Amino acid sequence: MIGLTSERITEELQSFSAKLAQGGQTLRDLGEIETGISPREAVYQEDKLTLYRYQPRVAQPHPVPLLIVYALVNRPYMMDLQEDRSMIRGLLDAGLDVYLIDWGYPDAADRELSLTDYIHRYIDHCVDALRERCGQDAINLLGVCQGGTLSLCFSSLYPEKIRNLVTMVTPVDFHTPDNLLTHLIRHVNVDLLVDTLGNLPGQLLNFTFLSLSPFRLAGQKYVDLTDILDDAQALRNFLRMEKWIFDSPDQAGEAFRQFAKDFFQQNKLIKGEVNIGDQWVNLGNIVMPVLNVYAAQDHLVPPAASKALASRCGSRDYTEFSFQGGHIGIYVSSRAQREVPPTVAAWLLAR
Amino acid sequence: MTDRNSTAEPGLFDVELLLKQARAYLAFGEQIRQFAEQSLDASSQPTDWDATLRQHFDRFKAAVAQSTEDSNIDPDLARLWTLTLESWQQTASSLGVSAIAPRAGQSADGWQAYQQVHGEYLELLRQSAVAALDLMEQRLRERVASGETAGSLRELFNLWVDCNEETYGRMLRGVEYSELSGRLLNTLLDCCARGESTS
Repeated sequence: MIGLTSERITEELQSFSAKLAQGGQTLRDLGEIETGISPREAVYQEDKLTLYRYQPRVAQPHPVPLLIVYALVNRPYMMDLQEDRSMIRGLLDAGLDVYLIDWGYPDAADRELSLTDYIHRYIDHCVDALRERCGQDAINLLGVCQGGTLSLCFSSLYPEKIRNLVTMVTPVDFHTPDNLLTHLIRHVNVDLLVDTLGNLPGQLLNFTFLSLSPFRLAGQKYVDLTDILDDAQALRNFLRMEKWIFDSPDQAGEAFRQFAKDFFQQNKLIKGEVNIGDQWVNLGNIVMPVLNVYAAQDHLVPPAASKALASRCGSRDYTEFSFQGGHIGIYVSSRAQREVPPTVAAWLLAR
Repeated sequence: MTDRNSTAEPGLFDVELLLKQARAYLAFGEQIRQFAEQSLDASSQPTDWDATLRQHFDRFKAAVAQSTEDSNIDPDLARLWTLTLESWQQTASSLGVSAIAPRAGQSADGWQAYQQVHGEYLELLRQSAVAALDLMEQRLRERVASGETAGSLRELFNLWVDCNEETYGRMLRGVEYSELSGRLLNTLLDCCARGESTS
């Protein structure tokens, strides 16, 4: 009555096993899997940080550089994954001069790095390097996810250095009812975690993200993979994403301690109670134009967590863009390529 | 100074992830195949089919519930619902905490406290997995009532995934899970910390 006979199911299982066996050869024959496709050059380095400039794709790029601050979690090549899935390429095509901070892989020597180091030292030094290099008093800043939160802190502390601020899928209010990450970290003894482990292991972060939807992310995804095992191109695309998912740097201990406690557990950002390097972060100081891009189906940073910026920042030129997709789709989906870079670029070029 | 960014070795993909889930899918398929066989005889009488469905899902639930303890049950069946636990155990192991016994230098008290919370965590996951089968049984009844049939085994597997995500998602968003998963990590860390201090 379910419409399937025992024989039909047996056939389907045999076909599945055959695809799996043949797929092994395709996997072996794939060769190198490249991630990050746009040519770039390193223009500044400090400790494990590297500031890259992407090769412009127009003769006269916009004179005000755009600095992308990615999250400390995962690796920034998600912004430039492959030819037809690259937010960076879209921004370059629109005529922008694009730079990106690659945080590298923190190790045991970095356990004492704090948010003060990341904001007052690393981001500030990169911003100054670009101001000097491009002869601009202020540059454009684009913060992604946690990098957006760091960018908000920086823009509040150094508003004179930022001409326009773009935040993408950025948490501002960490205590909206649908915030799963806050829900999961609420009862974690963060001090014990950092005091015991030093840095937060990337594997622990991976577990957290996979545990949000294990049957899809760790089960169904691999069963579905058998459907493309005979398609080298589709398989390459899959493996690029797979590499990114499991490429999780450890988090510098002290920076994680403050981020987890002040932002996730105590929601201090919207209360004006975050203190970084003896300076209070006041979102009201963010008076430059702001474009806040969020994803309507974001399961990690719910839209409400991002939209809280509207009533907290001091900008009179505040714009929101709602992308119809999720936290990952906003970088790599076809719709994202069509909508997000052109929207960001048009907004910036008008200012 | 121009570079072409990072390059991944194809070997970085853990083929075992694929193979493990493939085996779990085959175990799921075998469960459904048995049901299809049993329900063939009952197909002329709706009440017989109803009873067959209930009996089969009762057996399926019992097998799932016991699959982590009973070695006679196909271990790949357990993998269908212990994905989170398996991933957690790998993480714990990478931090030097074994699921089998305390390692040298780790206090037995700390390790036992962790094991107790680990058991509570497993039980919560088990309840969610069983609830997912209840939900799947209900969805199948609804399908039959509306004359819908499944076009393939994969369609039923996807239904099973949907049901698990639904019950797991409810569990994940609950206060109990938040408290328990926090306690799981805290006792694990306590175990690590004690190990460090006594080693």
